[in-house]
Amino acid sequence: MAFDEVFDVIVIGGGHAGCEAASAAARLGSTTALVTLNLDLIGQMSCNPAIGGIAKGHLVREIDALGGIMARVIDRTGIQFRLLNRSRGPAVQSPRAQADRALYRKEMRATLESTPNLELRQGMVVDLLVRQGRIQGVVMQDGRRMAAKAVIIAAGTFLNGLVHTGRRTYTAGRAGEPASIELAETLKRLGFPVGRLKTGTPPRLDGRTIDWSAFESQDADESPVAFSFSTDRIDQPQIKCYIGYTTNSLHEAIRENLHESPLYSGQIKGTGPRYCPSIEDKVVKFADKQRHQLFLEPEGHDTNEVYLNGFSTSMPAGMQQRFVRMISGLEETQIIRPGYAIEYDFVDPRELGADLQCRRVPGLFHAGQVNGTTGYEEAACQGLLAGINAARRVQGRSAFRLGREESYIGVLVDDLIRQGVDEPYRIFTSRAEYRLALRHDNADARLRRYGRELGLVGDQDWERFNQRRDRIAKIETALHATKLKKSDTAYRAASEAMGGIDLGDSIALSDLAKRSGATPDMIFRLLPHDVQTTTDRSDLEGALADNLYSGYITAQKAVVERLRHHDSAVIPARLNFRELNGLSHEMVERLERVRPRTFGEARNIPGLTAAALSTLFVSLSITSEAA
Amino acid sequence: MDTIVAVATPSGRSAIALIRLSGPRSVDILRSLIHDEQFTPEPNRVLLKRMITEAGEVLDYALVSYFAAPHSFTGEDMVEISCHGSPVIVRQILDLTQMFDARLAGPGEFTLRACKNGKMNLTEAEAIRDLINARTSAAAVQATRQLSGELSSALLPSKQQLISVIVTLESALEFVEDDLPQVQLAEMQARLAQIQVQIKDLADTYSTGHLLRDGIKCAIIGRPNVGKSSLFNRLLRLDRAIVTDVPGTTRDSLTESISLQGIPVSLTDTAGIRKTGDKIEAIGVERTHRAIADADLLIVVVDGSTELLPEDLAVLSQANETSHIVAVNKCDLRQGSDIVNQLSRQSRLVHLSALTGEGLSALTAAILEPFGRVDSEGAGLLITDSRHYDLLRRAQHSVGQAVELMDERAGEELVLIGLHNALRFLGEITGETTTEDLLSEIFSTFCIGK
Repeated sequence: MAFDEVFDVIVIGGGHAGCEAASAAARLGSTTALVTLNLDLIGQMSCNPAIGGIAKGHLVREIDALGGIMARVIDRTGIQFRLLNRSRGPAVQSPRAQADRALYRKEMRATLESTPNLELRQGMVVDLLVRQGRIQGVVMQDGRRMAAKAVIIAAGTFLNGLVHTGRRTYTAGRAGEPASIELAETLKRLGFPVGRLKTGTPPRLDGRTIDWSAFESQDADESPVAFSFSTDRIDQPQIKCYIGYTTNSLHEAIRENLHESPLYSGQIKGTGPRYCPSIEDKVVKFADKQRHQLFLEPEGHDTNEVYLNGFSTSMPAGMQQRFVRMISGLEETQIIRPGYAIEYDFVDPRELGADLQCRRVPGLFHAGQVNGTTGYEEAACQGLLAGINAARRVQGRSAFRLGREESYIGVLVDDLIRQGVDEPYRIFTSRAEYRLALRHDNADARLRRYGRELGLVGDQDWERFNQRRDRIAKIETALHATKLKKSDTAYRAASEAMGGIDLGDSIALSDLAKRSGATPDMIFRLLPHDVQTTTDRSDLEGALADNLYSGYITAQKAVVERLRHHDSAVIPARLNFRELNGLSHEMVERLERVRPRTFGEARNIPGLTAAALSTLFVSLSITSEAA
Repeated sequence: MDTIVAVATPSGRSAIALIRLSGPRSVDILRSLIHDEQFTPEPNRVLLKRMITEAGEVLDYALVSYFAAPHSFTGEDMVEISCHGSPVIVRQILDLTQMFDARLAGPGEFTLRACKNGKMNLTEAEAIRDLINARTSAAAVQATRQLSGELSSALLPSKQQLISVIVTLESALEFVEDDLPQVQLAEMQARLAQIQVQIKDLADTYSTGHLLRDGIKCAIIGRPNVGKSSLFNRLLRLDRAIVTDVPGTTRDSLTESISLQGIPVSLTDTAGIRKTGDKIEAIGVERTHRAIADADLLIVVVDGSTELLPEDLAVLSQANETSHIVAVNKCDLRQGSDIVNQLSRQSRLVHLSALTGEGLSALTAAILEPFGRVDSEGAGLLITDSRHYDLLRRAQHSVGQAVELMDERAGEELVLIGLHNALRFLGEITGETTTEDLLSEIFSTFCIGK
């Protein structure tokens, strides 16, 4: 076959998954092309201009620990940093930052352009070249043929994208950008099981037409917590966001006009995310709620555009304008861009291995919304993993996988490939069995060495990590070694600070720190002087969190182990699943596809119902009794 | 799959006996039994039919019902025949069905088939195992109850409450930017306390329930020659143990199983306790001590026709640690002077005569006293499986840990560990609650999302 260009890896799509994928593959030494419809929109935030949040912030820090780029880019372009859940336990705190949308794009493009081995190409991929079951390259709309040993699809909402605003629909990948129809058809032709999902976005307002005094302001943190372990400080000037509320009369007006919403007229078939409901959904499903919270988020330093977070809608554009003006403070407001809903194709992620490679077409990888996920962070971490594995495949290396117990990325991928998705998948901390162990601040301790071994973490970052690890270890040693005796003045001071409670004859700092009322500042003052001088706030907080959770984590592991005691039950190789007549045809197929050797393996099969597992368990018990 | 047959009612004479057939040939066999090859029964209807012998004689008038697959207990075609409860009739009908190709079912085989056909869940399957192993009718009743999902239903309110607390706390953690109602700590604590009580009450039934399954281990003890072996034989209704008037006749412990009103009792006759120079008897006494240690219940036999001897008192003090009944034997003879006064501290005192059988029903009642509320039909659900008991205790303990942490104002993420663990343990009995289930609950409870 004749090709116009030859690469090791081709990445289709320049969104958050595509950027990480291309960057990782190139930095691992593969000649890489990132193909996108519009080079000016690389790293575009299609929806809200923010990165992070509970669990999502964890993902970004994990991406950084592994050597990805998202954290560095947002640290340079974030205009409102806040650590969420600051008053709660360290395991559930998470950084979030509002981005300057245009700056983020610019910074991301600059990052990619300065990456050796990485080429940017504008154009639309319309076909995948597959020969003898393996990926060979791609065909562009303009006829160019590009060869690659691995191809990563990171096409976001562009696959068969269909935008809805009121009763009007048009094909588009995002408002104003063409959809990728041929590529979607190619995937179907290759036999991939394809489904339909939906997402939505709110209107953007002209900031000059907003009465800001009607809203409550929300400030950035005074000392911002960065996403990247390599960031020393946040340089962007920080802005305020604003909080307002909808009113009952607005709810009434929306309910009266529901027939205009494609969500309620039956026009939209795809499933939307439950945790990101449209305003239509909110006023229908929670009709009792008197008001719904809205956030006004400025889109950047150099623009008047304001994102109306919480008001995602697909009502007709004119109606959106009327509704927005029913909000106190927005009476004169002009919408710049109307909100809309978009339906798009996704491929059942159960087609993938833990390396995000398709079993159906070796060399083809899927990352981001094509796998049914939602969110920039969810997309980016998949892009990183796919990029790493594409490069490793080209280089003949073994696949790189992450486990559930060591990372949220591992949880996300495992959920996707085992359970598939029914609605856009978002990460939550409650999805992790070992939530206490997976903190945002220890992502480096968990994953940095992988990044180093893979070749994505440079000498400087590695050195920095080792120093931090040593400092934390030093604090941990000091916490155990330092004991306060009842006769010490420090003992009395500590006891008084904690409301005069009895701390026993003597108490180690490690135990004292676990008592409620013991603050990090107090513990810091009790540390030996030489430890104090080398300790910064983030080191201390990390060490205290390790100290607080270690016992719980051990106990938790024991519980999970205990509950899995059935898992070792062996499934005889001769067992015919078709003969277990309690099983539906679908369950039998799933079992036959995997052919589990133990009950534990069966339990991990995606989509196998509890009833099916019970049936299997019972028949195993009967077989073993009979034997 | 072949067709199996079994008598579903207990053996012996009764008004009605129930014979069940399960398998593809059930209806064919019924046709042969009634000598009507054209007969096409309508499912779930009861019909009166004549059972006819090979020789063409009417054997019995019986009620027959047909349950079509998959809407039957086993999920297969089933036929039930309610005939008159004469062992002879039952035997003959069984013989006929086997002649027509039915196979006598193995223990619990009907239930196993039900299982295989997806008619039950894990808890129910465990109940089947109990049912198969159930040695007595009372144990079978309990197993049947679990089978009907009663255990799962009994746990459902606790589980739902637990889920609602988890949902509230998880939402507070996960959706900080959403406009959620404030978590009411006191209300959470009250709900958790209630859950703890509910689980504990159920777990506590195990102290009685396990006896139903495993039986009561009951040892008859006392000094030599007070009539232990006579009582043993009397309870067994057999001359099992050698009885003489020579003290120390019983050298070794003897154990037999009996069923008292449906409750399994494993009864041990022991060597009388005394200091002895006889080597064999000494080993016997040693075994007695072991039997005492193993027993759930002791029957301390004393001789009511004489004074209490120091050896009696020694035995009584040994029995003090364990639940026990004092059997004052030989009430057919003249009674010793102040024996009742001396024993009045003992709450459970039974006067009986192992010789005549007098007072034996009072002894039986005393043995079964803890089951007073069990063997009648209106009795409550009992936990009989040690695994269920273990899981309930762990669940209760986990909720307790969560409550403690809440009292200490610990973070939600720590409180939630105990609650999630409790839910996992309950889930081992009732079926798992997945993260997806919890998320669905969250999104239907609160309006989440910007």
